[in-house]
Amino acid sequence: MTAEPTARARSGFRPALWLAYLVLALVVLAAVWPSLVATHPPDAIDLGAPVAGPSPAHLFGTDVLGRDTFSRVVHGARWSLVIGLGATSLALVVGALLGVLSASGPRLLDEAIGRATDILLAFPGLLLALLVVAVLGPGALNATIAIGCSTVPGFVRLARGQALVVRESGYVRAAVVLGHSPARIHARHVLPNAVPPLLVFATVTAGTAIISGSALSFLGLGPKAPTPEWGAMLADGRDFLDTAWALAVFPGLAVTATVVAVNVVGADLRRRFEGSPADGN
Amino acid sequence: MRGVARRVALTLFVVWGAATAAFLALHLMPGDPVLTMLGDALPPADRVARIRAELGLDQPLAEQYLAYLGRLVRGDLGRSYQLEAPVASVLGEQVGATAALALSGFGLALVVSVPLALATAGRRPALRRFVTTLELVAISTPSFWIGVLLLSLLSFRLRWFPVAGGDGVPGLVLPAVTLAIGLTGVFSQVLRDGVERALREPFVLSARARGSSEAAVRRAHALRHAAIPLLTLSGWTIGTLLSGAVVVETVFTRQGLGRVLATAIAARDMPVVTGIVVLAAAVFAVLNLVVDLLYQVADPRLAGRASPRPEGVPR
Amino acid sequence: MRRWRERMAALAVAIALVGVSACGVRGAGAGGDRLVFATGQTPQCLDPQVSPQDIVATIDRNIFDSLVVFTRDGRFEPWLATRWDISADGLRYTFHLRPGVRFHDGTPLDAAAVAATLDHAVAPETKSQYAAGLIDAYDRSEVVGPTEIRIHLKRPSAPFLQALSTAYLGIQSPKSLRENKGALCGKPVGSGPFSFRRWSKNSAIELDRNPDYDWGPSTAAHTGPALVPGLTIRLISENASRFGALTSGQVDVIDQVPPANVPSLKRFDALRYSRAESPGIVSAVMFNPVRGVLADEQVRRAVLRAIDVDGLVRSVHFGQFDRAWSPLGPTTPGYARGLEGTWPHDPAAAGALLDAAGWTGRDARGYRTRDGVRLVLRWPYAATYQSSMVTTAQGVQAELKKVGIQLDYTGVDTGTFGELLETGDLDMFATSFIRADPDILNFFLESGKTRDNGGGNVFAQRHPELDRLLLAGHTELDPLARADLYAASQRYVVDHALILPLWVPAALVGYTDRVRGLASDPVGFPLFYDVDLRGRA
Repeated sequence: MTAEPTARARSGFRPALWLAYLVLALVVLAAVWPSLVATHPPDAIDLGAPVAGPSPAHLFGTDVLGRDTFSRVVHGARWSLVIGLGATSLALVVGALLGVLSASGPRLLDEAIGRATDILLAFPGLLLALLVVAVLGPGALNATIAIGCSTVPGFVRLARGQALVVRESGYVRAAVVLGHSPARIHARHVLPNAVPPLLVFATVTAGTAIISGSALSFLGLGPKAPTPEWGAMLADGRDFLDTAWALAVFPGLAVTATVVAVNVVGADLRRRFEGSPADGN
Repeated sequence: MRGVARRVALTLFVVWGAATAAFLALHLMPGDPVLTMLGDALPPADRVARIRAELGLDQPLAEQYLAYLGRLVRGDLGRSYQLEAPVASVLGEQVGATAALALSGFGLALVVSVPLALATAGRRPALRRFVTTLELVAISTPSFWIGVLLLSLLSFRLRWFPVAGGDGVPGLVLPAVTLAIGLTGVFSQVLRDGVERALREPFVLSARARGSSEAAVRRAHALRHAAIPLLTLSGWTIGTLLSGAVVVETVFTRQGLGRVLATAIAARDMPVVTGIVVLAAAVFAVLNLVVDLLYQVADPRLAGRASPRPEGVPR
Repeated sequence: MRRWRERMAALAVAIALVGVSACGVRGAGAGGDRLVFATGQTPQCLDPQVSPQDIVATIDRNIFDSLVVFTRDGRFEPWLATRWDISADGLRYTFHLRPGVRFHDGTPLDAAAVAATLDHAVAPETKSQYAAGLIDAYDRSEVVGPTEIRIHLKRPSAPFLQALSTAYLGIQSPKSLRENKGALCGKPVGSGPFSFRRWSKNSAIELDRNPDYDWGPSTAAHTGPALVPGLTIRLISENASRFGALTSGQVDVIDQVPPANVPSLKRFDALRYSRAESPGIVSAVMFNPVRGVLADEQVRRAVLRAIDVDGLVRSVHFGQFDRAWSPLGPTTPGYARGLEGTWPHDPAAAGALLDAAGWTGRDARGYRTRDGVRLVLRWPYAATYQSSMVTTAQGVQAELKKVGIQLDYTGVDTGTFGELLETGDLDMFATSFIRADPDILNFFLESGKTRDNGGGNVFAQRHPELDRLLLAGHTELDPLARADLYAASQRYVVDHALILPLWVPAALVGYTDRVRGLASDPVGFPLFYDVDLRGRA
């Protein structure tokens, strides 16, 4: 799901768009080089200053072990991006391979992949991810795989359809006539031409994947403590709702700002590369 | 009619597939299910062996699978390790609370998004921009954070709503609102898109020419057309409601399938996990089937996509 | 177009109906004067002889009576037994039962009922996780007469009467034991002041007043039936929600008040608060002294000295719990007060101990190494329940990092955790055990109490000197001599750093000022028999 910028805002200078790119750049910076932004190590405890509100020393306050919330939010960027984008990339790669295989392989294989996709689509929303985590157990990698699994069916469908279109196109027919091997045709022509629409679709699912990742962490199924994952930090902060509001506000704000930025930037990329706004739904 | 039979068969197939996937999940799980069942108390080996035999876990996998399918057909979902009760009865106890939450969340989203979409479709640019921004934020905000914020502000600080349990309407308000916010964002976007598209159609012009008021045109013609793309979203909606229930019930400590599922996953109580997942998949598949069929009745063009009907002819 | 509007109308009606039906399921506790108690724990099985859970003992105390009652000053007084004799060798206990007692199903209490309960506790098919261990000296019951029973022990057992006084050995209806076999977890039938009505999983347990009750313990403040018509036990595991339910008046009593909320609770005029320290094993970490890096006593002692236990406990528990110096809590009989202050926080001493143990190298991340191997401790935990130990462990992790030890604190599922315990393939695990007798030390450390024998000595550790003290303590009937033996045991445990004691758990109970007569038993569990509810103002 994504939101489209308004029709009128699609031309000219758009401060909101620039803001979104800026936020995303900051998040990526925090993910790649957190110590540049953070003021404290994320797991350094300070037993003298537990559960304090924002102050100049601790911009977002501290948690129950006196850890600096701002620094933990900064270090958390990496986990949100790793899980959200990791799951999306996983779904994209696996989806592209299965989709192309389905479109070009034997009919039986196409049928098998198609029905398997039907079955995966029968687990609504997060449920497939939850089932996968239940089997694999909690953890960052397992959460990534789980969300990847629940995102993959859409990519398979799209890739299959795209591969069918490409196969019927002139240059592929030409390659067949020229006597190129099927493997070469698929590697050189079908796959590369099926991928761009998948990338567009990935900009649509990335935001959802980030939210799903932090939701799994919130439920205690993400990376293990003391990893500063945003959803997990929010879950910990719930115990102090009437004493320390900051613990329940900043990690959530981080998720929302990141996902808004990803969605806005995604819509902008779609507009640039497709020439028309993709249907986000 | 053949189309309908095919759809029904496909639905049955998908439910069977989901059940099989759940069975595999149960048996692929690392860790000994008997030890999980007995908790962290470490029982003597002979007792473990006896319980394993009681549960049929010492049988060949194929036999266990057939037995599992047989029980499933009879509505027996197995027994919860942690709750020491049949899964079916646990689910029976919880399904009402989740249905109440999902339906109120859905209803709320619809009630809010329809006027929003009608009021902003193709007019009032300032309001429209404001509303689209709100929609973007609503879609991008995780529901657990919305829940935590509402709880913190309205329950803990202002004390307007109870903080725990699912008793009655007051306890349902915040969870339903939490569930509805993301849905509203999407519904309102889709409806407005639909209305704007419909307003460009010739039949709207003819209605206007007949002297219908702007409000009547929007409500009567445009909204009806906009409802169809909303219907195509039904699968996504059901999925969002079900997975939203997991998070929302956990945040608000409400009774319901979602919370039972979250607890069961943490405890690796696989019969409960698979029971809920199979139930959800079945409900999802059947609702999708019903929506599909309704859809074909509502708009016969989509049945075989064979008989395009000129736009603007009132049905 | 009309169809659309009709559909909308139908939808609105449907929503309204859902709302109304949600009203209909309002809990029974909201209407009358039933007492509503919210607990943070999730009971798993209400058969008292099966579960080891505190919450099960708390709930079952209302449903089941015991033979004797244990007073706050450590004496035993009559309850279902009016009097009893103990043979000189401590091997035979003869109880004379109170006449006229009936179970909730109408069955009268007799010697056979007591025998049936004790036999049920030790029967292998009961899968008792605690009660059987409490009376592991039990040999057999001899029905002398309808109201006279003689219990034979295999060996003298000093804590036997204390064990019988707990709810874990509450007497069950023999008819129910017979007829509900296999379903006792969900159908508890006793003779207590409240009878079981319903258990909605993950939501609430409903108990009703037993109108015939006339056999309360001598420690109670009144006689006759309970003062409230029923007891609703709501299961609210979420800390903030449970506390919020109390402040908003949705419930009358809560357990496990989150320590962070105690100050704000005290600010409410209409709220009351009670704190009772729990006896038994404190919240602690058991070390694996048998294999792995912690087999080296110097490393174990280094861990004890490396952690700022005072600061950590104060921070995590907002000053509501005391740090622990001994494996036993101060309210346990035989507590060794002399251990207090004997192992203060001293990172330098910890470093010296690690150096002496050969962990002198340092790797790129600052962790100590020996022969190129990093000093890593593995502390797995069953991630089923959120507990304050998860937070504390992160503090321990940060403290150990400062002296160069890497602590892997890993959440696993209960099945995997069970396997790890079975194989002993871990360095440490967290535990805590509420029990009003020091012989809980035997359960965890006596060499004979391995898991195979139903004990808690997971690592099958064997310390001949400690064994001698523990076995003597278990059979010694003279209280003073017994206390000396257990004091020496505790000193041995701390000197050899077998356990890392962290904090003394306490029952933190919050309640509204409507609640009168709320008491607690000697281990701090709330008692509801004497509770009365003042009308709402």
